[in-house]
Amino acid sequence: MMAKRPISYAVLRGEVVETDLIEFGGRGGDITFLAPDPHKIADRIPLASPRLMEDMYSVPFEGILDYLAELGPRLELSKNPYMQEALEYSYDTAPSTKPIVDAFYHDLPFMFDKERIRKMVDFNIGIDHLEGWVEQQLNGCTVGIRAYGSRQLHIVAGNGPVLGALTIIRGAVTRGDMIIKVPSNDPFTTGAIARTMVDMAPDHPITKHLAVAYWRGGDEALESKIYQPHNIEKICAWGGFASVKHVTKYIQPGIELISLDPKRSASIIGKEALESPETMTEVGSRIAADFAPGNQVACSSSRLVYVMCGTEDEDIEKLKQLGQATYDAMIDLPEVISTKPKRYDPDLKRQVDTLRLTDDFYTVIGGKDGEGAILISHTSDRVEFWEYLGDRTINIIPVDTLDEVLDVVDAYTQTVGVWPDNLWDVVRHKGALHGGQRFVELGYGFNGAGLVGPQDGIEPMRRIVKWIVSEKPLADKVPLWGDTAKDVKMLA
Amino acid sequence: MATTAPPKDTAIEREAERWMNDPYEHFGYHNTRIHSLPREEVEAVQLAAMNLRLQERRGQVQMLAKLADAQDIQQVGTLEELAPLLMPHDIYKSYPQSLLAKQQYGKLNTWLNKLTRYNPEEVDVSQCDSIDSWLTKLRDDTPLDVGASSGSSGTCSFYPKSKRDYYLSMMGMRVQLAQKFGEEPKPGDIEDKIHAIIPLYKDGHASMGAFGKYSCEVFCKGDPDYWHYCFDFKLSSDLMWLAARLRAAAAKGDVSKVDVPPSLLARRAEWEAAQKAMPDQQLAFVNEMIDKLQGQRVFVMSTSNLLYAAAKRGLDEGLSGVFAPNSVFMGGGGAKGVPLPDDLEEVIEKFFNTKRMISSYGMTEMNSFSVLCEHDRYHVLPWVTPYILDLDSGQPLPRKGTQTGRAAFFDMTADSCWGGLVTGDVVSIDFDHQCECGRTSLAMDKKINRVSEISGGDDKISCAATPGAQAEAMEFLTGFGG
Repeated sequence: MMAKRPISYAVLRGEVVETDLIEFGGRGGDITFLAPDPHKIADRIPLASPRLMEDMYSVPFEGILDYLAELGPRLELSKNPYMQEALEYSYDTAPSTKPIVDAFYHDLPFMFDKERIRKMVDFNIGIDHLEGWVEQQLNGCTVGIRAYGSRQLHIVAGNGPVLGALTIIRGAVTRGDMIIKVPSNDPFTTGAIARTMVDMAPDHPITKHLAVAYWRGGDEALESKIYQPHNIEKICAWGGFASVKHVTKYIQPGIELISLDPKRSASIIGKEALESPETMTEVGSRIAADFAPGNQVACSSSRLVYVMCGTEDEDIEKLKQLGQATYDAMIDLPEVISTKPKRYDPDLKRQVDTLRLTDDFYTVIGGKDGEGAILISHTSDRVEFWEYLGDRTINIIPVDTLDEVLDVVDAYTQTVGVWPDNLWDVVRHKGALHGGQRFVELGYGFNGAGLVGPQDGIEPMRRIVKWIVSEKPLADKVPLWGDTAKDVKMLA
Repeated sequence: MATTAPPKDTAIEREAERWMNDPYEHFGYHNTRIHSLPREEVEAVQLAAMNLRLQERRGQVQMLAKLADAQDIQQVGTLEELAPLLMPHDIYKSYPQSLLAKQQYGKLNTWLNKLTRYNPEEVDVSQCDSIDSWLTKLRDDTPLDVGASSGSSGTCSFYPKSKRDYYLSMMGMRVQLAQKFGEEPKPGDIEDKIHAIIPLYKDGHASMGAFGKYSCEVFCKGDPDYWHYCFDFKLSSDLMWLAARLRAAAAKGDVSKVDVPPSLLARRAEWEAAQKAMPDQQLAFVNEMIDKLQGQRVFVMSTSNLLYAAAKRGLDEGLSGVFAPNSVFMGGGGAKGVPLPDDLEEVIEKFFNTKRMISSYGMTEMNSFSVLCEHDRYHVLPWVTPYILDLDSGQPLPRKGTQTGRAAFFDMTADSCWGGLVTGDVVSIDFDHQCECGRTSLAMDKKINRVSEISGGDDKISCAATPGAQAEAMEFLTGFGG
């Protein structure tokens, strides 16, 4: 008997599409899945006219929150067959393992909590900017600014199933029209959420302003049709290099690219970490908490750990103990947070095994079983393959000075974890100058504001809206006509 | 994985020793004989050679000992069993980069010492102040002639090969290129002096430079009148490394972070000027050679792209060259990631008036070059055991049928290093098919990719940076904005 073929449903503005299915995927040992032929539905993916944005303005912000608050509980796994089915299929496509994917799905409904979303919006944009014009007097005028929803295309990453949900929340609260192109490593989750929305409120403006579909990134015939200024105003592309590369082809006046570029994260740690076995245990736990969650697939996962302990032999000996403490802490993490990776990158394995032979310069802790590894440098050099670090593999590097660390913080750096507190001000300030975008206390990279906050230096929420300006003269404003016109100062 | 020793066959071991020491001499420099050996015999000799080499080298090459100890391999009973002992090419750049930047050549020697049976550690390099001076010192004081190459990520590989390795490599070229397969060797194919035209450097520590020197020995029999090179200086490894680092740094957006000695940075302008003047000089050189060596038998070795450029310019200017018909033109991939033009062979053949330009597949880390046959297959010399490794697991694929995967090789002629190498290339071999050209040797398909080019999928988006993304992104965005 043939097993049921997984389908990545297209959900277009309140309508679930499951016809004209064709096969996708199947690379790298993944399962293949079916999805509606994108060329057959291409015309229905974009919003026909900007005029159709009006209905979003019939819903007050509280109404949007109500909608999301009602949607959240409906996504609970036990009650939702769509989510159950998506979860089942996602085990094969997701980059992380079953316990982690389970945890993502379990926690997903809580993202829709009203107060959480309210705070998120207020911090990132300001609810008053979404609900009306925020006005001040300036240069003899009442000048106002307001955040309008845009027609936006989201090319979502597949690191975790929460990203589709997050995108829907961000789009809804900003009154945007959302097209979500789902990724091949998470082709099911967003469609399942959208199907739930259709069941819940098929005619609601939020449901009507969501189009979810899969197509192969780089499908030029399709993309050149959709990625046009008369269809969309903003493209929000998560940083897979290939996806951003494809998209830049279509950027032209009228389409803005919000590029969540490829990024990496690091940790910067003071010599105090090596003071005692107790501090090593604590700092090891903090490092593990910053790199191992979700099996290191996020850009905010630390990959390089710099310890300002010096590079003498005794420093390296202590550093190895910190490495062991970090390894033990990684192994001890609960499986809903971190597990042995699904498939340890064979290229990385080869590199790690090569490093083992070079034990004058490096110490490798773990990694023989594909469970992840701690790579300790004995000099202030990061490993030659540092760009490939993943699957719970980090490089701990001893340095003499903070300047050596800052040299490797650059425009591709996202999160920097800092410990202890006496480094906080200087690392945050100097790190920001070098290119770091987000600074956290070591150990709290995944346990803080995170994606509910401004995410990182890109600030996607503030940028997916259109900022519109209104200006009206005050009563005593001198006009550019009549006898006094010549006295007006024309200042830019 | 300890296995019992295969029954000792001293006749095969003696044969293996001859192949290991100087296979060309052993086979009378006879190209046709070399490529006509029965497969079973070849594999039996290969297996015997592996065990002899393993026994010998594990006491000499520390990295091999470490690898073999870790896997608990004392000897191998089949060709497949050697696969865990093939060393990833990355091992030859596994030293901390700061050693190079800080010019700690003594420490680099200690590292290099673990990869070769010779002893670079015994050489005093305290006076060396550049890669060139370090490698020259090693070449002067030991049997080594270390091959250096710079990668796009700004790192530099050092493969501690010996002068003997280079000699064998070049002799393999002469034997395979000067004789047509299927014909008896003609007098002079091996003994005569042949004019060697090298439109590149006289010398250097990268293959492109070193081959110039060794071609004089093998093709010109040491006669300087037969040795023609374009640049009467050494290809500088320091400048190549600097260039690679600057490129990598520029891609990251901050060249000021390049950690190189100021003395070297000062030579940047020199390098750029030389680069700029090069194409014209090479063209002038090729034209001069056409003029001077008309009708003579010549050996021309270069990258395909360079030969193409010279031929293209020559044709544009209404020139064409006539060398003796038994001349040999050899191009090679060489330039990493640079695509070859579609009309490559046509243009080169027309300009040089040669029937056939020969391509070969090889690398610094191997002595033996595989030459492309008339049926577009690269034939592996019988003293080299090719492996196709599964791209995911790294395990050797069965030695039957058509297999595609990561190429790895064991070259029993390796004199200085271990000889077992895992490459970054993806190749295909049909183990059951005997090539229509008549050679019995195993052959790789013409199409060879880099592993890095084929891994990864378009739609698998993750916001964590992908390797090399920055450099590629820069390149792309620069072109886009244009």
